[in-house]
Amino acid sequence: MPSPADRRDDIRRHLAAAAHALPPQGPIGVFVAQNALAGFENRPFEEAVVDASRLFQAEPFLPESQYRDALAAGRIRSADLEAVLDADLALDGDGALAGGRITQRQLRLALLLHPVRLEDDAAVRWTLTESDLLDRETDSGLWPACLEAVALARPAILRARTPVRHRDLILALHPATDTDALVHPLLIRLCAAFLDQGVAGWPMPHRDRGLIAAVAEVYGDRLGPTAAWSRRLPEALRAIRGTDSVDVALAECDRLGVPHDRQGELILDSIVALRGWAGMIHQLELRPDRFPVERVPSRLADFLALRLLLDRLAVEWLAPRLGHADDPAGLWTELCDRHPPRRGPGSLARALLLCQVARLVGLRAADIRSLEENELLQLEWAIAAFDGTVRRRLFHLAYERRHRIETLDGLAVHESVASPPAAERPDLQILTCMDDRCESLRRHLEEQGPGIETFGAAGFFSVPMYFQGIDDWHATPLCPIVMRPRHTVTEEPVEGAEAQHRLRQRLRRGLGKLRGGLASGSRTLLRGGLVAAVAGPLAAVPLVARVVFPRFTSRLRRRADALARHRVPTRLLIEQHSTTPLADGTRAGFDVDEMADIVRRVLDDIGLVTRFAPLVAVIGHGSTSLNNPHESAYDCGACGGGRGGPNARVFALMANDPRVRARLAAAGLRIPDDTVFVGGMQDTCSDACEFFDTDHVPAGHRARLAALHAAIDTARTLDAHERCRRFGSAAAGIAPAEALRHVEARASDLAQVRPEYGHATNAVCIVGRRWRSRGLFLDRRAFLVSYDPDHDADGAILARTLAAVGPVGSGINLAYMFSRIDPRRYGCGTKLPHNITGLIGVMDGHASDLRTGLPWQTVEIHEPVRLLLVIDAPVERIRAAAGSVPVVKQLVDNRWVSVASWDPAGDGLSWLDGGRFVPHVPECRTLPRVKRSAEWYAGHRGNLPPAVVTAALTGARRETPTA
Amino acid sequence: MITDRLLSGLVLLQVAAPAATLAAVGLPAVLGITVRERGITRIVGAGFTIALAAALAALGILAARGFTPHNVHMGTWFHVGHHEATVDLVADALSIPFVCFSTGLCGLVNAFAGKYLHREPGFTRFFILLALFGTGMNLLVLAGSIDVLFAGWECVGISSTLLIGFFHDRVAAAAAAVRAFVTYRICDAGLLAAGVVLHAATGSGDFERAISGGWPGGTCLLSPGTALVVALLLIFAALGKSGQVPFSAWLPRAMEGPTPSSAIFYGALSIHAGAYLLLRCEAILEAAPLAAWLLVAIGAGTAIHATLVGSVQTDLKGMLAYASMTQAGMILAEIGLGWRVIPLVHVISHAVLRSLQILRSPSALHDRHELAAALGGHPGPDGWSLVRVLPPAVRTAVDHIALERGYEEAVIGRLVVEPVLGALRAAAAFERRVVALLAGDVPPLRRGGDR
Repeated sequence: MPSPADRRDDIRRHLAAAAHALPPQGPIGVFVAQNALAGFENRPFEEAVVDASRLFQAEPFLPESQYRDALAAGRIRSADLEAVLDADLALDGDGALAGGRITQRQLRLALLLHPVRLEDDAAVRWTLTESDLLDRETDSGLWPACLEAVALARPAILRARTPVRHRDLILALHPATDTDALVHPLLIRLCAAFLDQGVAGWPMPHRDRGLIAAVAEVYGDRLGPTAAWSRRLPEALRAIRGTDSVDVALAECDRLGVPHDRQGELILDSIVALRGWAGMIHQLELRPDRFPVERVPSRLADFLALRLLLDRLAVEWLAPRLGHADDPAGLWTELCDRHPPRRGPGSLARALLLCQVARLVGLRAADIRSLEENELLQLEWAIAAFDGTVRRRLFHLAYERRHRIETLDGLAVHESVASPPAAERPDLQILTCMDDRCESLRRHLEEQGPGIETFGAAGFFSVPMYFQGIDDWHATPLCPIVMRPRHTVTEEPVEGAEAQHRLRQRLRRGLGKLRGGLASGSRTLLRGGLVAAVAGPLAAVPLVARVVFPRFTSRLRRRADALARHRVPTRLLIEQHSTTPLADGTRAGFDVDEMADIVRRVLDDIGLVTRFAPLVAVIGHGSTSLNNPHESAYDCGACGGGRGGPNARVFALMANDPRVRARLAAAGLRIPDDTVFVGGMQDTCSDACEFFDTDHVPAGHRARLAALHAAIDTARTLDAHERCRRFGSAAAGIAPAEALRHVEARASDLAQVRPEYGHATNAVCIVGRRWRSRGLFLDRRAFLVSYDPDHDADGAILARTLAAVGPVGSGINLAYMFSRIDPRRYGCGTKLPHNITGLIGVMDGHASDLRTGLPWQTVEIHEPVRLLLVIDAPVERIRAAAGSVPVVKQLVDNRWVSVASWDPAGDGLSWLDGGRFVPHVPECRTLPRVKRSAEWYAGHRGNLPPAVVTAALTGARRETPTA
Repeated sequence: MITDRLLSGLVLLQVAAPAATLAAVGLPAVLGITVRERGITRIVGAGFTIALAAALAALGILAARGFTPHNVHMGTWFHVGHHEATVDLVADALSIPFVCFSTGLCGLVNAFAGKYLHREPGFTRFFILLALFGTGMNLLVLAGSIDVLFAGWECVGISSTLLIGFFHDRVAAAAAAVRAFVTYRICDAGLLAAGVVLHAATGSGDFERAISGGWPGGTCLLSPGTALVVALLLIFAALGKSGQVPFSAWLPRAMEGPTPSSAIFYGALSIHAGAYLLLRCEAILEAAPLAAWLLVAIGAGTAIHATLVGSVQTDLKGMLAYASMTQAGMILAEIGLGWRVIPLVHVISHAVLRSLQILRSPSALHDRHELAAALGGHPGPDGWSLVRVLPPAVRTAVDHIALERGYEEAVIGRLVVEPVLGALRAAAAFERRVVALLAGDVPPLRRGGDR
């Protein structure tokens, strides 16, 4: 028996291990798309998804039927299946089966290409008596032969792991009795009350002492009957007052009678049973700075202790009612002994399967009869081993293979069309976020002529900061979630506008008080009646207006907003004037050296070090939508679920600063004096775009600024048009101007559950020089990161680019992938019954586990494939760069992303397969060719293959093969 | 005479239009014909628009005639001796304004849901149920006899149940639907019994036979004893639908369906059906002061209970459900106090406000952020409330009571549900034993029975 101290350590260790399985999502107000299986990234992808699916009772891949549909539709080809099967067999070995009559490969290919029916004995019996399906096999003698064959071997008893929680053991014996159905409503209510960020009128008393202490205070009194099963709860809670929760958990593990060697499993299963809430508690324990309003001491150990205590009470109450002893420890042993074994399929079912397989691979009745017993067993075993999960894994690999080939083919063919930009100075350069949604905006800009060049970088533009806008009440971090900013930037009214600003502020405060008072008043007793009587008829006006005339209302509101907002001209305090830190430990503004470093870093990253255009626009992005708890999921991932406009604005200010330019010039990076940077922000939902500080643009650049506005207006209209092809509620032949109005209305429609599709369909990330992919239609499916291999001799820039892009890109990609594969377990299901709770998350309906992941309405059009990371660099540099960043190395080594090298030397494309780069052999040597994107996507709703958009090509066109 | 016939036609249209859309959307679904989403919303929307136009026209005619009640006799279902079951509709100062408001709201929710439920597998089902609800609601409101009212009442009840359980794949939704259904069944017995008593007393279910004069201020024609019985039974019926103590536990759980149905049912119309029933029969209530005072007590009690419990709700829809319950309780208390126009106005304005709040409950984060920005900080917990001045120990106890939902379920469970279930199980066990005895094989008596 280990000492109590050791056992406490054990519990902590188990708890830490279990915490890795929890969803990585924090409060929903700042939604950062992350891999739902982030805790499994230290294991190979194919293994991890299968293991996770067992733990969470989730799906590892899409349903087989959907892959078969893809096969039928040509999205997967049989060549893909054969290729992945061969790769798989290279590991397993391709043995002969059925006495050499068939091979493993034949068997597996047949099972992949043709569906077989799995039935239980009763269904087979029904088929035999009620239908003529098996008549032909009966006549040919195959069916009787199979029946005789399976009679030779006894049906297998499958050894499955005995569950460890009482709840699962009880459920296996009494399928209608679920102790979680008793415990969860109470536990959910308590967790919600504990974490609440301001929905409830009264906060939970004593919650500043932690979950279990607060519950012990509130529920430990002598107030009369709660639900029947929890009648002994007050007494139990009084007993643990002041006890450390690890000790409580330890005591409960013992009382439940679970032996030491299985307590890790018990803790894991108990935590995972309510993993949304447990995950939130864990996330807020790790990052208390992410509490939106009020911090409370959130501890996973408290949750575990409370959960085990409640579980034990429920079991103690239930056991006698099921005819068991009410001692949980004795009960555990008894339940384990009585745990029903999982039986394999019965003989009729086995015979049916064998019969179908025999037909598929061409074994006749005589062949079956001639098999020896061990050959038969081996055949049956081979069939059983190639079960649904294995088949779906291969289907998935084939699905990804086809996508990879199509994309790499597109790049390879495009290579012959693309040419580097001409030597003369471009008119306009536009730097946007690497976001897949910016791909179309950039393409539509480039289609306007070779004078416009675009670049992509992580959308916080290397400006990690806390930002407080003029209308914000506190500063929010704008940088990737893994960083903590050390600087704060504030927005202020310009000199002379302060009085106006104060007036507005007062007005807003007054209106805010009125609205807040009405909202909270409407729930109270006496004020509620008054509010209802007064505000009810008034509420009818916006209700009718918003539902019946959403577009008109939104225009009206926007106009009112514009009146209110843009009156006050503002400036940003980006420069540091004092080194004294602020109250939160950050410093106000950046010093000139830091500014120069930031500008240098971004320009180096994207390879913009010569040929500066006279006007360089830097555009961040965010998304505005209404009635959408997941609004933040559409914002910029690189800004940690915030909006990147301020970062772009700050970057432009820094890059325009003459002192910064002087320092850059001293370090060898000369930005021409007549080059002006201007910051902007794009709304990916309404396709609106605004620019900041344009009044500081010198008079000589006015015409260029007007040209920028014109170019952006054209591009965003076409961007809206391209997006509309995905929206079922936009007509197929919609005109561009109408499309822009359509997306504007979506952004402000209360009833719209799909304001935009976010990152759905993302599949590729291209890190490299834009000219190599410019003019290639990538269907808003590619993250585009600018990187110039010629400007990165030692690979340092590639390493830091991958360090930023790898986790963000794969996080988004895997978040969408798993939410699409299992929308209910990894995603948060349909939005329609969602119910915001505690301002930290959503539940389904009245009381459910906290729903994490992305909603179905966001991922429904997503095609789940792992991110294909194509890097414009030689193989060796990629290896070195990826190997030098541990998080990227893990993603690459364990195949959570696929990597391809697009060698600048022109050696073509190669992709990483099992640790080595294999040359990509193009299957198709031509690409469709259109003048403009719209010609290619017009009339199509689904994903489109790459095509050459000639209008976007630069420089002299070379003669190319066309389709 | 012509205006009479016109008015009758308009009243009939208010029920017939949504009923026709129910058939138009429901029949193809039954026959397995797929109708496009836009087609469905247009059909249902047209039904509500026609009904609304008819109601507004009727309101105009009625106003011109000084709100003299107008009865539409649609025939007699059956009659036995002195008893007859008539199918009557009535247009008066209560029913027509209420139809204007309820069809208007149904139309709005139809427009909202057309987008909200886009591509949802249960799209058609939702609109069939919405049309059924609209038909039932108008039937209930326009009913001139308790029999018609009962029919409307049941349509509202069944559509409510099926929409709570809209998501077939979720156990919680099904459980909540069953809970609401059981509550409805129990309380609907009150309405049915009230009908029986009315028939026995007057020989007809017609309100005209029980109440003379227009609304409000009619005179009850029943004997005081009968009036008391009928009033108590009607109150019993109203408690279930309006989610009043001790039948309130289903209401927060009803928030399992899609947001638009939660808004129209539990923020706006279904929850006020009880209030409407009592307003319709106000004269009977007037004649039974004891029942009226009981109604005041229950309404006020529910309002206090719901305020208390609502204060600790951490989810938006739960909080709004309790806020609705508070106002519904106050409205019933107002009716009990003998007010007429005030509760009617209260119903309509509360319904509009609450349904808007539920429809935009997914905006809570957005709204809170804007509010915090305007105020320069997050608004604290409610400014003044009684709980703030209580000593800490009492506050903790109050919090416990509120988190346990005022022990309503625990008490009902122990006093009613458990004994009833126990009796049923005992009966089942007894039956099994008797059957076994007859079959000649006596099993040992098992305690507790099958769970």
